[in-house]
Amino acid sequence: MVIFMRLADISSTTLTRRPKAYSYTYTVSLMHLRNPWVTAWWSAALPGFGHIFLGSYIKGFLLVIWEIIINTQSHLNLAIYYTFTGQFQLATQTLDQRWLLLYIAAYIYAIWDSYRSAIEMNKCAILGEREGTKFLPARMGAWEINIMSKRIPLLAAVWSAFMPGLGHLYTHRLPTGFFFFIWCVVIIYQSRLLEGAHLTCAGHFAAAAQTVDVQWLLYMPSMYLFSMFSAYNHTVEYNKLFDAEQANYLKRRYQDSRFELPV
Amino acid sequence: MHIFATFDHNMYIELAISDLEIRGLAREQILAVPLEKEAREMAVLDTIHRADGVSIIDGGAVLGTIFMLLGTIWGFLWYWGPIVGGLIGLALGVAIGIGLDWVITKRQNRPSSLGRKAEIVLVVRCAESEAGLVKKTLQDHCAIGVGLFKQGYGG
Repeated sequence: MVIFMRLADISSTTLTRRPKAYSYTYTVSLMHLRNPWVTAWWSAALPGFGHIFLGSYIKGFLLVIWEIIINTQSHLNLAIYYTFTGQFQLATQTLDQRWLLLYIAAYIYAIWDSYRSAIEMNKCAILGEREGTKFLPARMGAWEINIMSKRIPLLAAVWSAFMPGLGHLYTHRLPTGFFFFIWCVVIIYQSRLLEGAHLTCAGHFAAAAQTVDVQWLLYMPSMYLFSMFSAYNHTVEYNKLFDAEQANYLKRRYQDSRFELPV
Repeated sequence: MHIFATFDHNMYIELAISDLEIRGLAREQILAVPLEKEAREMAVLDTIHRADGVSIIDGGAVLGTIFMLLGTIWGFLWYWGPIVGGLIGLALGVAIGIGLDWVITKRQNRPSSLGRKAEIVLVVRCAESEAGLVKKTLQDHCAIGVGLFKQGYGG
């Protein structure tokens, strides 16, 4: 951590009081305008996702880990499944009271805090934009190289559709990429999703329904769509950042007062 | 002699300028004017993504998640099982979400300009003998268009 901080201190961005973006070898942090309701929605879908969307990774990662532990231990997803299929008795029986109430406060906090943070960060994004986008578009270290370049948003979403996390690797958000990558392997394995997929493709639908694990399978929808959404979203924002930084550079360097215009 | 060119924001324009400088053009012979994108309202709350131009995906992702979850759950009760149920829910949710967003955005939106937009105007002042070289350098680096201007004509 200390090494990373020191690397950052060398950059010219430290001179900016309200920086728009900050580049590291393994990711780029940036402020951009986000819809606080969409941020809150992702926290509701899976606590931690709202914070990951904001770029607040330590909070986000810890909340996701918290959610998966408490949800799995209390059998919350299973209870949701029983409730939605009208088996209310089973839903009541399956919930583990030793764990269940731990869920509530942190769940609400995650939604509230990500909504609040989105609004605060939007204010910083506006100030940062007005200070001018100045940051290093290429960073190199012994372990990683990060070069800002234009990327295709749809391609990021498609890679994440094939395997969640790959879209983030494409846009060079390495911590998020590997976080999704690892969690998806865990969830896919635990939910026995792939065995279910094989059985489904072979036409054994009833066997597929019996094979998959409901508790783990219900993590998939939010995990899958959020990784696609955020990879797409970040690619769009990175491209805008690239444009703004380059425009700033060209204005600084190639608008010499000695340039003779044709009159 | 002045040479005008338009570019997109990408690394080619930096390479093009660098090539010109290597071939002896001074910095004060090169003028780059990045074009301001359409002015957008900066609001702190709510309608931000509308103005941001990425709103179209929000609804698809939100409804996609909800419908995929419900499709997976109810898929257990259907003949085709939870996997197919989840996939149908995903497709349905994304389609409805994007459709809704598209309709809403279209209703609110200004007419967008047609075709490809230039993002940077580059002007290079050089001797007539260098014009061919400069023009080729710019074209080789993905300039959208290059135009030559010689003082004295049409005057």
